[in-house]
Amino acid sequence: MINTENYYLETFGVSRSLMEELAAEGLRTGGDYSDLFFESTWGSSLMFKDGEVTYGGFNVDYGVGIRVLKGEKTGYAYSESTSRDAMISAARAAGAIAGSSRSDAAPARILTDARDHGSPYVKSDSNGGRPVRKFFTGVPNPAADRYPVLNDWRVCPTTDQAAFLSKLAGAVMQKDTRIVKVIATLSSQMSDYLMFNSFGELKYDTRPLATVAVSVIFKQGDDMESKAASRSWRTGSEMLSDELISEISALAVKGIDEKFEARRPKGGKMQVVMGAGASGILLHEAMGHAFEADFNRKGQSIFSDRMGKRICPKGISIVDDATLRANRGSLNFDDEGVPGQRTMMVEDGILTSYLHDRISARFYGVTPTGNGRRESFRYEPLPRMRATYMEGGDSDPQDIIASVKKGIYVDDFTNGQVKIGEGDFTFYVNSGFLIENGRKTMPVKDINIIGNGPQALADIIAVGNDPVVDKGAWTCGKGQSVPVSCGIPTVLVNGLTVGGEQ
Amino acid sequence: MTDNLNINAGLLLPEDMELAKSALEIALKEGASKARANLSFSVMDLVATLNGQVDKVTHSFDRSLTMYIYADGRYGTFSTNRVSADSLTEFIRKGLETVRALSPDPCRDLPDISRTALDAGTGLELGLWDPERNDMDPQRRRAIALGASIWPKEGLISEEGEYSDSVSDLYLVDTQGLECRQIETSFEYGVEVTVQDAAGNRYSGYWWDSNPKLENLNADECGPAALKRAMSQFDPQDFPVGRYNMVVENEVAGRLLTPVLNALNGSAIQQQNSFLADSLGKKVFPDNLTVIDCAREEGKSGSRLFDSEGVATSNSIIIGHGVVEEFFVTTYIAAKTGLKPTVDDCSRPKVMPTMRGGKREIMDRLSDGILVTGFNGGNSNPTTGRFSFGVEGFLFKNGKILHPVREAVITGDLVTLWNNLTAAGSDYRRCSSRQVPTLAFKDVDFSA
Repeated sequence: MINTENYYLETFGVSRSLMEELAAEGLRTGGDYSDLFFESTWGSSLMFKDGEVTYGGFNVDYGVGIRVLKGEKTGYAYSESTSRDAMISAARAAGAIAGSSRSDAAPARILTDARDHGSPYVKSDSNGGRPVRKFFTGVPNPAADRYPVLNDWRVCPTTDQAAFLSKLAGAVMQKDTRIVKVIATLSSQMSDYLMFNSFGELKYDTRPLATVAVSVIFKQGDDMESKAASRSWRTGSEMLSDELISEISALAVKGIDEKFEARRPKGGKMQVVMGAGASGILLHEAMGHAFEADFNRKGQSIFSDRMGKRICPKGISIVDDATLRANRGSLNFDDEGVPGQRTMMVEDGILTSYLHDRISARFYGVTPTGNGRRESFRYEPLPRMRATYMEGGDSDPQDIIASVKKGIYVDDFTNGQVKIGEGDFTFYVNSGFLIENGRKTMPVKDINIIGNGPQALADIIAVGNDPVVDKGAWTCGKGQSVPVSCGIPTVLVNGLTVGGEQ
Repeated sequence: MTDNLNINAGLLLPEDMELAKSALEIALKEGASKARANLSFSVMDLVATLNGQVDKVTHSFDRSLTMYIYADGRYGTFSTNRVSADSLTEFIRKGLETVRALSPDPCRDLPDISRTALDAGTGLELGLWDPERNDMDPQRRRAIALGASIWPKEGLISEEGEYSDSVSDLYLVDTQGLECRQIETSFEYGVEVTVQDAAGNRYSGYWWDSNPKLENLNADECGPAALKRAMSQFDPQDFPVGRYNMVVENEVAGRLLTPVLNALNGSAIQQQNSFLADSLGKKVFPDNLTVIDCAREEGKSGSRLFDSEGVATSNSIIIGHGVVEEFFVTTYIAAKTGLKPTVDDCSRPKVMPTMRGGKREIMDRLSDGILVTGFNGGNSNPTTGRFSFGVEGFLFKNGKILHPVREAVITGDLVTLWNNLTAAGSDYRRCSSRQVPTLAFKDVDFSA
């Protein structure tokens, strides 16, 4: 729901001339780039618990973050007031990174990123040998909004939201007589942003984000089990529909019979089939983070010296995408004012791009990829993923399972952890099946999948033709939390460690 | 509210506290039956280094007002960082509108005033404020951050350090007349290093320290400790799966205590999402396990005089010689369940030692086993207590480390694991609010 420029200027009580003054103030001590990030967020949450919607609330968050760069070094400060004095004070605090006493305050235009080269394309070894596209600054365009809003959450009546949650919880309860507890939550937010930098670029955006989630406790005899389901989009309150209730309530009980039956299997090294969709979290954690350019710039990533090289078999392509309509990870502009875009990280098995913010793009001499993201105005932007997924291959998913003599099938992970330098990962499996002689047999749970990200990528031996981007409420934490999504087709990995019984 | 920091202790000025009190008055005037206001200010300065040079400096100052509003038998919470006397009435009116759209909940109430903290008047009672924070300036911060760097060193690919100092000032008032405050300073340094072996394999190591008092911060010890941890991982090897003695280093042993403490939370119990739901007063754990809450230990991380409702904390026994002595029960959960109200959570839990010494002495005593120095993913099921954690560490024999182990997983259930506790050392990390020493367990399932 992109509004007019005046709407954002009035929301934050600033003018273009004041923003120019602030950007210049940040550069006063010798910094070579500065930017301003204004945010006004309104968030609401409601909870259904013990049979009724008895809890609700909202929060208001407002302020401006001011960043000054000196080379790759960052100075950052923020103010919860947008009074001129408070912002000048923040700009000076951020400018301290430059550390000199230079007093000429003119906002110098910097000739350091790829857009400043004369030709539309520039060759770069740092981009997998491909030409770097000339930087396109973009302009806010309501007609191209990736998350248009019909009904603004800020004016959606609490009674309507509470009625939706009650109906959803009732629908879940009706699905299974073993259900003893249902918690349903609805959280929504609308954020207005205004961005300005020392290039003189002004961008603005309004981002909606809403999540409906249920947590269900089941009891069968003396055994208890739990399940959770969620759906999350960048959209307005028009998402509160009967179709959504049907989708989430079905998801909340899906596989519960198998979960009660499931056992912890014998562990060891075996073939693992990743189910399409939510298994993409493994791609995000175990490989995606290692593609973020800050880890590579600092030499910490296992992929630091692999640009332009084959890192997995032909036929595998991995994308990080900000352009999916209403997707949780989508962006019109990133938090540095760079247009949201679709970035191919791996093309046909070759590493072709890291995920860049302005700092790393400058370091590598490439165009920013629109991955500069932050949790709020309180944080400086970092290279972060958006919607990260593997493109579909040419194998039939049933054929993939049929090809496995002994292994496991998993489609629901949680609590993944990865060590960026080593690439080692561990993921907890919520649900899955043993595969024996090409067929899914015993349900399994309470196990871990362990491996090494780059090695697992290299060990992929089949990619299904069923790519799915999951619609759950994924949040990435890298010191800051940002909404993301993930996806993958059915994939067969040849030899991961499954931590199970002896 | 004001930006003025030129005060002796804390961040709140008298007019800020008056604003919180006036918010309560407005809430009552607008129709609330009861209310609580929580005013929180915090300021932090940070200097990050990359490979021995300053890479980032940040300054932050946060303010928030959270209102807990009770009206017409209903309840809601509302927060804002845009608080001024002018906008307060509108903010509270909107909150009341939301509250009135919810279903009634007779269990929502303020805590009985007799249970609240009456001894937290100045915010300085626990000795968590260091006046040295007032004398910090950018040069001192840079000096600490750069002085702690170990860059360059042979084999070191990358070193990222981060020094920060902060002040938090929390003020809580309610319409019963409760008024309490806590002021804390914190000085922290942490460093992550990446190293490379001869074959090009990369390993990382992290170490940190933190203290409410600057004089107790050991920033200089962090770099060498992180480097040692990174380099000790060279040449990891597979090991035979099976049952082992497991020694869990003090730095990470809290990971095994956390799911136990979570299972004692009243909310989890009320939702039937706890494997310890029926355990109060029962002997679930072994004689040698005692966990106490040192909530009121002066000058220590995690200590607090009051919880989120203003209820007074106490030094108490959580698990005594294996018997579960305390659930963490808020006013709301007490009314829902009939359980005795206590506090919302533990503050500074401490696993009592069964012997003197740390991992060295415990490994000597056990002779053979696996020393766990890190957890990597995994989970425990809150309703069953079954767990599966990825771990990293070292195989040891005759008390001596043989080699690092890789791709290791431990599985089991938490009650059985803790019943196999064979030792708890006395090597507590001063910087941690969870006081868990090096622990040892027998018969732990390791797969790899």
